[in-house]
Amino acid sequence: MQKEKKDYIVMSIIIGVVCVILLAVMFMQFKTVEETDITAIENMREVELRTAISEWKTKYEETAEKLEANRKLIKDYQEKIEKNEETSSLIDYDLKESDMILGKTDVYGEGVVVTLEDNSECKVTYSDLIELINELRYAGAEAISINDARIINMTEISQPNGVMTINSETRVHSPYVVKAIGNQTYLSSTLNLKDSGFIDTCRARGMTIKLEQVKNVPILKYNGEMKTKYMMKGEEKE
Amino acid sequence: MILIAIVIGCILGAVIGISAPMIPYTYSGYLAIAIIAALDSVFGGLASTVNKNFDLKIFVSGFFGNAILSILLTYLGQKLNVDIYLAAIVVFVGRMFNNLAIIRRYYLEKWTNRNQNQTQEQTTGEEK
Repeated sequence: MQKEKKDYIVMSIIIGVVCVILLAVMFMQFKTVEETDITAIENMREVELRTAISEWKTKYEETAEKLEANRKLIKDYQEKIEKNEETSSLIDYDLKESDMILGKTDVYGEGVVVTLEDNSECKVTYSDLIELINELRYAGAEAISINDARIINMTEISQPNGVMTINSETRVHSPYVVKAIGNQTYLSSTLNLKDSGFIDTCRARGMTIKLEQVKNVPILKYNGEMKTKYMMKGEEKE
Repeated sequence: MILIAIVIGCILGAVIGISAPMIPYTYSGYLAIAIIAALDSVFGGLASTVNKNFDLKIFVSGFFGNAILSILLTYLGQKLNVDIYLAAIVVFVGRMFNNLAIIRRYYLEKWTNRNQNQTQEQTTGEEK
């Protein structure tokens, strides 16, 4: 009897709890549905979807345009870069070439080696060397050095107090080994001109002079500084 | 006793439900299917009471089990992009109608029986 009563109470409580849960959930749902108003949401959603779609479409188009523009830009930049590379490589080449011409780099090539030597009869003077350089240049020499002192465009050869100097700081002594790069035949034939040629005139004065044709004449670079102070680039200024 | 429990439970549940915070719309679909499942269990319970084979364990387990299972199925359906909740609704509502029919028949029978008894009593009284 007691047990049955207990069971009955338990059952009542459980059913009550079930009712609480069910009703609570139902009312929550009612509230949610009421407040969100499904049909309105559906309608709104359709409209919203439409607007959203159009919005996205425009956005997509904008983005696509931007992408296209950016791609174009990238292409332009790439072209520019390529151009720059071209110009820079060209500039590089130019620089190397002018460095070579100016005498800032070691060079080698076919040419001649002229050796002048003092002897008891005749001493080599600076004017002889200048003349020789002039002759060599006339014959198309591209690079010249005297005792490994490079002759550049600003080189002077002087003999103050009997000491031969080149580029105002390099002292040179006999024997003077003059190396020149250029067409071997032209160079040697110009120097070897009969009677009026450099070698003949020197020999006539009793100088010891020797001409060699060499396949690979190495000529060292000019080590000093190249400074310009008064020279300016461009056209004349007032 | 049971009636009192039901009434108190209903009132308490309604109060809790009204004062409870709103659920996000996304989850209201799951809740709806759970409610349908629970209601199905309730009607099932009523029908079994009418048939006098009510079992509390079956009722409670069905109440919670069906609700949870239906929520899980709905979730699965959403993941699979199949409207499984439709099948759940069909099954639950169909069973609800079945149970309602059982209850209706029971009370109809009871009512007709009572009417018949009354008429019999009347006729017997008149005969007396």
